Amino acid sequence: MAALRRFVWRLVNFLRPGRAEDDLARELASHLALLEDEFRRRAMTAEQARRAARLALGGVEQAKDIHRDARSIMWLDEARRDAGYAVRLLRRNPIMAATAALSLAIGIGANSTIFTVANALLFQPPAGVIEPDRLVDIGTSTKGGGFGNSSYPNYLDLRRRTTTLDGVYAYSLFPQAMSLGGADGTSGAERVFGTYATVNYFTVLGAVPAAGRLFGAGDPPPPASSNTRATTDPPRPGTMSDSEQPGASPIVVLSHRFWTRRFNRDPAVVGRTLTLNGHPFTVVGVASEGFQGTGIRAGDLWVPMSMMAATSPGSSLTIRASAWLLVGGRLKPGVSVARAAAEMNAIGRALELEYPDQNRGTALRLQASSPVPGATVPVALFLALLTAIVLLVLVIACANLAGVLLARAAARRQEIGVRLALGAGRARLVRQLLTETMMLFAIGGAAGLLLARGLTSVLVSLLPALPFPVDVSLALDGRVLLLTTGLVLVAALLSGLAPALQASKADVVSALKNDAQAPARMRLRHGFVLAQMAFSILLVIVAGLFVRALQAAGSSDPGFDPRGVELASVDLSQAGYTSTTGPPFVRELLDRVRAMPDVQRGTIALVLPGGFETQRRALTVPGVTPPDGQRFFGVDWNVVEPEYFATLRIPIAAGRDFGAADRDGTQLVAIVGEGIAREFWPGQSAVGKRLIQQTFGPNGPVANAAKTLVVVGVARDVKASSLIDGLSRSLVYVPLQQQYTPNITIVARTTGGQRIADEIRTLVGTMNPSLPIVSAQTLEDSTSLGLVPQRVAVSVSGSLGLVGLLLAAIGIYGVTAYAVTRRTREFGIRIALGAQRADIIGMVLGQGLWLTAVGSAIGLALAAGASQALAVFLFGVSPIDPVIFGGAAALFTAIGLAACYGPARRATNVDPLVALRHE
Amino acid sequence: MSSKDSRRVELLQGTLDLIVLRALATMGPQHAYGIAARLEQVAEHPFTLNQGTLYPALVRLEQKGWIKGTWQTTETKREAKYYAITKSGTRALGEQTERWRRLAGLVDKLLLNEAE
Repeated sequence: MAALRRFVWRLVNFLRPGRAEDDLARELASHLALLEDEFRRRAMTAEQARRAARLALGGVEQAKDIHRDARSIMWLDEARRDAGYAVRLLRRNPIMAATAALSLAIGIGANSTIFTVANALLFQPPAGVIEPDRLVDIGTSTKGGGFGNSSYPNYLDLRRRTTTLDGVYAYSLFPQAMSLGGADGTSGAERVFGTYATVNYFTVLGAVPAAGRLFGAGDPPPPASSNTRATTDPPRPGTMSDSEQPGASPIVVLSHRFWTRRFNRDPAVVGRTLTLNGHPFTVVGVASEGFQGTGIRAGDLWVPMSMMAATSPGSSLTIRASAWLLVGGRLKPGVSVARAAAEMNAIGRALELEYPDQNRGTALRLQASSPVPGATVPVALFLALLTAIVLLVLVIACANLAGVLLARAAARRQEIGVRLALGAGRARLVRQLLTETMMLFAIGGAAGLLLARGLTSVLVSLLPALPFPVDVSLALDGRVLLLTTGLVLVAALLSGLAPALQASKADVVSALKNDAQAPARMRLRHGFVLAQMAFSILLVIVAGLFVRALQAAGSSDPGFDPRGVELASVDLSQAGYTSTTGPPFVRELLDRVRAMPDVQRGTIALVLPGGFETQRRALTVPGVTPPDGQRFFGVDWNVVEPEYFATLRIPIAAGRDFGAADRDGTQLVAIVGEGIAREFWPGQSAVGKRLIQQTFGPNGPVANAAKTLVVVGVARDVKASSLIDGLSRSLVYVPLQQQYTPNITIVARTTGGQRIADEIRTLVGTMNPSLPIVSAQTLEDSTSLGLVPQRVAVSVSGSLGLVGLLLAAIGIYGVTAYAVTRRTREFGIRIALGAQRADIIGMVLGQGLWLTAVGSAIGLALAAGASQALAVFLFGVSPIDPVIFGGAAALFTAIGLAACYGPARRATNVDPLVALRHE
Repeated sequence: MSSKDSRRVELLQGTLDLIVLRALATMGPQHAYGIAARLEQVAEHPFTLNQGTLYPALVRLEQKGWIKGTWQTTETKREAKYYAITKSGTRALGEQTERWRRLAGLVDKLLLNEAE
């Protein structure tokens, strides 16, 4: 109790030292007075009495000192005093403080930015979800790799069979574009992004509504089909019986963002009817703020799976081979991810055996839920690379600062010597010097955090336009702040400790006499400059390597020409076109597109090269047996209009393109890629050969519905979705007029590479106002997604490399300038003894060049190691690219020389007489 | 202050507090000079303690709430801060004295054993 009282008093006295000070002065004065009186009584004179009193009391200042130590918290007092010194110091050297703070701000800001991105993509728990660490993602993998979509029948089966998961939901991959008729029936088609989800989606995730309700019991699932081998198991708790009519629950849940943006958070929206793709839907509720499932894709609304038939005719819930769903679930209490993954694996194998035609080669994988399902490892690797780069910059900035601190300590030798002579403990001195460093880092860190906000926006702007909306919350949350603060503290300690220790070791006598400095200090400073040079050159070389990689990717022939091509996708089923009305509309649309003034060539296709979407079909080939005992060949598929190849500049190696004669009612034809031609008919001409296209129904291939296609042409192969891994994809192409598909993309090559997205939009609008453009981008943008990592790496390492270069140059300049000052007397003597200007310049430059050479050599060695480590990102680039390495070395030599130039000139202008008197 | 002095003071810290408390309990309220004079009187040798070193002890005791200081005037019309022992101070004095006696007894016994 007494101890607590004491502590409180000490705290109060620390916070308000003035009062206690006054009290003590008063008391000491009274004590002295009483002592004086006593000595006067003993017949001393006033003078003697006063002196005796002082002696008896024993030193007023000393009394005050020990009183101060006893009454307050000593180390806090000292810390406050140190902080005061630090502030004064910074104010006296504003330039040094500003430069240091700026370079620190850049280093810390860059780190903070990467932390933020990593946090958003890897660590941040999804909003509005209960116990997100118990959630899992389920994906399919073919040939041991990947994490792809599942089909609805497969989903139903794995949901029925799992015993380790408490609830399994499914939702559509890309939010589907839907057209939203104005809720007031007025405005024309507005494009919104909707997600199809099973009715247990919100329940399994534990979401709560912000208004109204979410999907729940009473909202029926899609009907069962005979394909799913209905078992006699009773419905499990949380699932509903499968006996409802399709389209029986036209309900929709809005996302909070959409609700805010479009309806201004009007609660009256709940219960209103919206028109989606021409059908009426009732809004039953709004999801909570920030909720968007477990991923980073953000849709505007959710529609139950059972409404698929109504809003997207042509998509199928019954075809087991049609994989378009992401699946997720929640672990039962006490079940580990490993156990659930093993069970899912087994279920996958069972499904493979039961449905060999559709599921062969497809395994089921289960992983802990992640914002980027299936891509967690590559994303993490890439972010680790970026983190390494920005940490490097921070190290450079810290080395720079440490060098500056050393220089400052050198300038304060006398002051430090006096302190030591007066009895300051070494630890105390180190603490004070460290406080100065901490203050700089605190300022730099705060500025860095502010900078991070700006840098994050810049980073986001580097990404190409995505065809679907993505919401990654890039706010600075607690985790990022904590990490940044920790980083600042560690960096401050590391940079400040060496200079502080060095400074406090000062030999008192020589410091007071201001003698020449020990060489050890210069060595340390040189060390810092070498470190800066090495890391800067490393950064610049890494940037150069990434530029090369981008170049290599750009110049490798993708098999088509992506420049200057505009894409616009529409879904004809959204406007009610059928397989009878669709084809003529497409013909007319294409004619009109080709007639547009800026359009050189135009065509229409189902899938585009270099994109993410692929379609596959099963074929048999007369006279050729599929390998591995399979019944069919699975091939990549495309549906195109004539002139597809000419528009994309894909060469036709043999035969012909499709023409107006290939239409409904005439012989079914196909064009195959070179790879497929070689696979099926090696050594022969593919033209004239036949392919049998299978049609699949719920029970497998439909007998007597197979189509025979005659191959009329062979086209060059194109590169697949990632332009850098060098894999070609071979496809089978069929004409749209013979095999209609409603999901088409208008492909238009412009005469001068202009953007004509608006013109296309207007054109389609005039032809049919209720047909919205699903997505519009250039072909280059759509193919460049695979190169995003390289692009980002180039920008980050390039810009930071320049910063590092600048800092290194400043470092060299500083050291050289200081060296010149130190050797002023020496230069004076040399000049007096007859040295020429050239000699002096040579000496100065020599030292600078030596630093540059050694630093560059270390940096080059590090870079060679780094390029080996980064080989996976640097496809097509030789690890020791002579241009890059040589160029960087030359650049840094030039910079080093330039930095030395100023001090060198100053050295030659030394007046020997002044120099000789210089201390 | 040289380090030797500071060591000496610290050795006495706990016991100085005890001594001051005891003095105040016996004498009644007294100012710092009075306490110092009394201590010199009681100890047969003069203390050769800087009177200034009393102050930390007074601060500690006051912060712990064992003594309380008030400004008053002396007979010679000077102002001085008089310290008086409090109730909790009296209690603490009893406990500390007991502890000191026990410690002194233990040390004595040990020294006696050593001597044998």
